[in-house]
Amino acid sequence: MARLRALAASMPWVSLEETVIEAPFARVWSYIDDMERGVPQFEGNVRRIEILARDGDRLRLRSFAPGGFAMKLDAVLRPGWCVMRGAFGEIGMAAAPAGPGATRFAHFEGSRWLGRAARPLFRYFVQRDLARLAALAERA
Amino acid sequence: MSAEAEEELVRNAQRGDALALAALVDRLAPFVGRICGPIALEHGEDAAQEALIAVLRDLSTLREPRALYGWARRIAAREAVRHARAARRSPPLAGERPELPAPGDPALARDVRSVLEALSPEQRAILMLRDLEGLSEQEAAALLEVELGTVKSRLSRARSAFKRRWSS
Repeated sequence: MARLRALAASMPWVSLEETVIEAPFARVWSYIDDMERGVPQFEGNVRRIEILARDGDRLRLRSFAPGGFAMKLDAVLRPGWCVMRGAFGEIGMAAAPAGPGATRFAHFEGSRWLGRAARPLFRYFVQRDLARLAALAERA
Repeated sequence: MSAEAEEELVRNAQRGDALALAALVDRLAPFVGRICGPIALEHGEDAAQEALIAVLRDLSTLREPRALYGWARRIAAREAVRHARAARRSPPLAGERPELPAPGDPALARDVRSVLEALSPEQRAILMLRDLEGLSEQEAAALLEVELGTVKSRLSRARSAFKRRWSS
């Protein structure tokens, strides 16, 4: 979590939010780890994700926005840690157990291309996605 | 990773490349933690986090990528001394101190910790930089922004105090 905060601090164009999800770490992280099935369920700007290549913890992805716009992303994915970089945006997620049956989750999104002016928009996206992920994991 | 690849990584991170920054976080987090822990003790994690944030936030000001670790070491040491000084002004309540996160015998770790706690933050910093990080006295003086003579006297007093308390 501290590492994601530090990473977000180095990218002033991203918006970072944290929350505690009332579900075990393994269940929460399964939505990120199973990227092709899990991420589109809570990430509002992603309708579909394809893993194009995998080399250890490095992934090459193609994501499709709800309007059909496709974007290639490079990512690092490890238990509790995920950072993605595309031509038009950056996404980060980190999670850690927070006591029995709860998970602290941090998430940032932003676009170096759009700059700091777009941070309020990304804050809205991040808060929306965190609420969706919490609802999914807590309901499961 | 080769020196050239490391330089390229730093330059990409300076340009705001999220994956390069994430890779630097992987390298720098344990590095600053190793410096902050013995100086700031139970506040080492907080100091390390703030040092890491400061390093990444100000990364664009680093002119020479090869100087990254020396520059990060200076920031981490300063942050650790600052936290340790603040903690000395407001000591923790009994029972608040977590055990020293060290491998091996927990009793030995407690002994080392109690000896380190008896030293001032400035003494812990000079012991850390000189005896654990292997910096020269000149390098330690530059890093802590004190005179060479101050480093020599502080180091001498720190080593004497450590030995005295360790053997008592």
